[in-house]
Amino acid sequence: MVELKNVSKTYPNGTVALRDVNLKIDKGEFVFLVGPSGSGKTTLVKLLLKEEDATSGEVYVNGYDVTSMTRYEVPYLRRSLGFVFQDFRLLPNKTVYENVAFAMIITEALPKEIRRQVPMALALVGLSRKANMYPSQLSGGEQQRVALARALVNNPALLIADEPTGNLDPETSWEIMKLLSEVNHRGTTVIVATHEKSIVDEMKKRVVSISKGVIVRDQEKGQYKDEDKNNQIHI
Amino acid sequence: MKIRTIRYIFKEGFVNTYRNKLMSLASLVIVVASLIVFGVFVLIALILEHNISIWSEQPQLEAFCYEDLDDAQVDQIEEAIKRISEIKEYEKVDKEQALEKMREKLGENAAILDGYGAEIFPVSFIIKLKDVETSRKVVSKLEKISGIQKVSYSQDTIEVLSRISHWVKLGSSLMVIIFLTVSVFIIANTIKLTVFARRKEINIMKYIGATDWFIRWPFIVEGVIISLIGAVLAFIISAYGYKAIADKFSQDQFLANAQILSLVDIKDVWGVLALSYVIIAVVVGTIGSSMSIRRHLKV
Repeated sequence: MVELKNVSKTYPNGTVALRDVNLKIDKGEFVFLVGPSGSGKTTLVKLLLKEEDATSGEVYVNGYDVTSMTRYEVPYLRRSLGFVFQDFRLLPNKTVYENVAFAMIITEALPKEIRRQVPMALALVGLSRKANMYPSQLSGGEQQRVALARALVNNPALLIADEPTGNLDPETSWEIMKLLSEVNHRGTTVIVATHEKSIVDEMKKRVVSISKGVIVRDQEKGQYKDEDKNNQIHI
Repeated sequence: MKIRTIRYIFKEGFVNTYRNKLMSLASLVIVVASLIVFGVFVLIALILEHNISIWSEQPQLEAFCYEDLDDAQVDQIEEAIKRISEIKEYEKVDKEQALEKMREKLGENAAILDGYGAEIFPVSFIIKLKDVETSRKVVSKLEKISGIQKVSYSQDTIEVLSRISHWVKLGSSLMVIIFLTVSVFIIANTIKLTVFARRKEINIMKYIGATDWFIRWPFIVEGVIISLIGAVLAFIISAYGYKAIADKFSQDQFLANAQILSLVDIKDVWGVLALSYVIIAVVVGTIGSSMSIRRHLKV
């Protein structure tokens, strides 16, 4: 599903964000990417979306060879996966329904399909009754659920969430995490970048810990170790 | 591209134009102003062209031979005239015809010609040119032919007119280029503000997998809408404005009688004007919006 082979990333200003990273995530997995700010976690996510290009190494996502992909193929890679941001990124002048439908409009989906899929996605995140509201009328948790519905409406095989609970209170965070977990149970591969210790510890999923651009720990049913925060390298 | 996508693109374009009313209005004014300036130059050029062609239709040059030449010598002169490539056509006026002409000219007083024979009149050639601008050159060529006594031509009018037309064409093309460039940049700027206001939206669209063209088209539609409305307004203003001036002109007895300048009928030129407005509007709108959005698509 996702594979990184000897991936390094150095930014033009000389910052080394990732150093010879190897990572393989299989279909149906639920993976936490953890690590402090500046660890390279966000860079890794950016590589998966081809927002940034790897300096060396190979990146494969959803069957796409991301490294050798041209600029014109990028939209199709992104359509094949769902993406959830920390700041929701909903279109403010579109309703909840329109926001979700928009992800299908850009893929030139049939109107019939849109009318079928959008209510299903909204039902999944429990927002059917708020379909005609605007994002500004919703709470943060609800907005993130809309974003999740949008990410899922095209039935992606892979869902990437970058700090999805970063702007939410603990209780709402849990709701989102439960939803992600449910999505995973339905067969979607889920990657969550986060530094929320309590959630990672409670969920008991695979944890990939990054520090100073290197994967320092990769553990099934892992915990968020305090060492991860202190940037110590464990091998 | 599918029809529903095209419908989406047009809807977005219209909605955005309306949403950015103020900026759209500002660009609209500039577009209308530039197009009117353009229209004025086009009309002036058309009028000059029209008048030059009227002048060209009239006999432009008349070369008179010496009165005492015999037929063979006249034939030689005719041969020489035939060889001048700038001449479109010529008409030979022989002595008899010249006498007849003079009689007509004198009318009642023709009696004073009684007792004179046709032999006192010179043979002449009435010459039409292919291009008025060559008149000076042709005159000097004619004057070099031996046996030609004198060449008369409406030198001033033709030359002044052709010189004015030359400069007006040059100047107006220059002005038109300047004004259109300004319009492109102003439309680009308007769209740039729209793009800037909506950069977050564009960013989101890029993340959920919209192609560049899917994002770009509504902005292009927006630019074209603004400039098309501008073209329609500019056309109405310049067509009515011109009609008003033309009416004034034809009512003015002095100007109408002087026949210095004849105006083109608006009916004959509105097609050219409308077509060039629309083409320019589409080109300017498209270039303007494509220019402004390029930078924001790199996500």
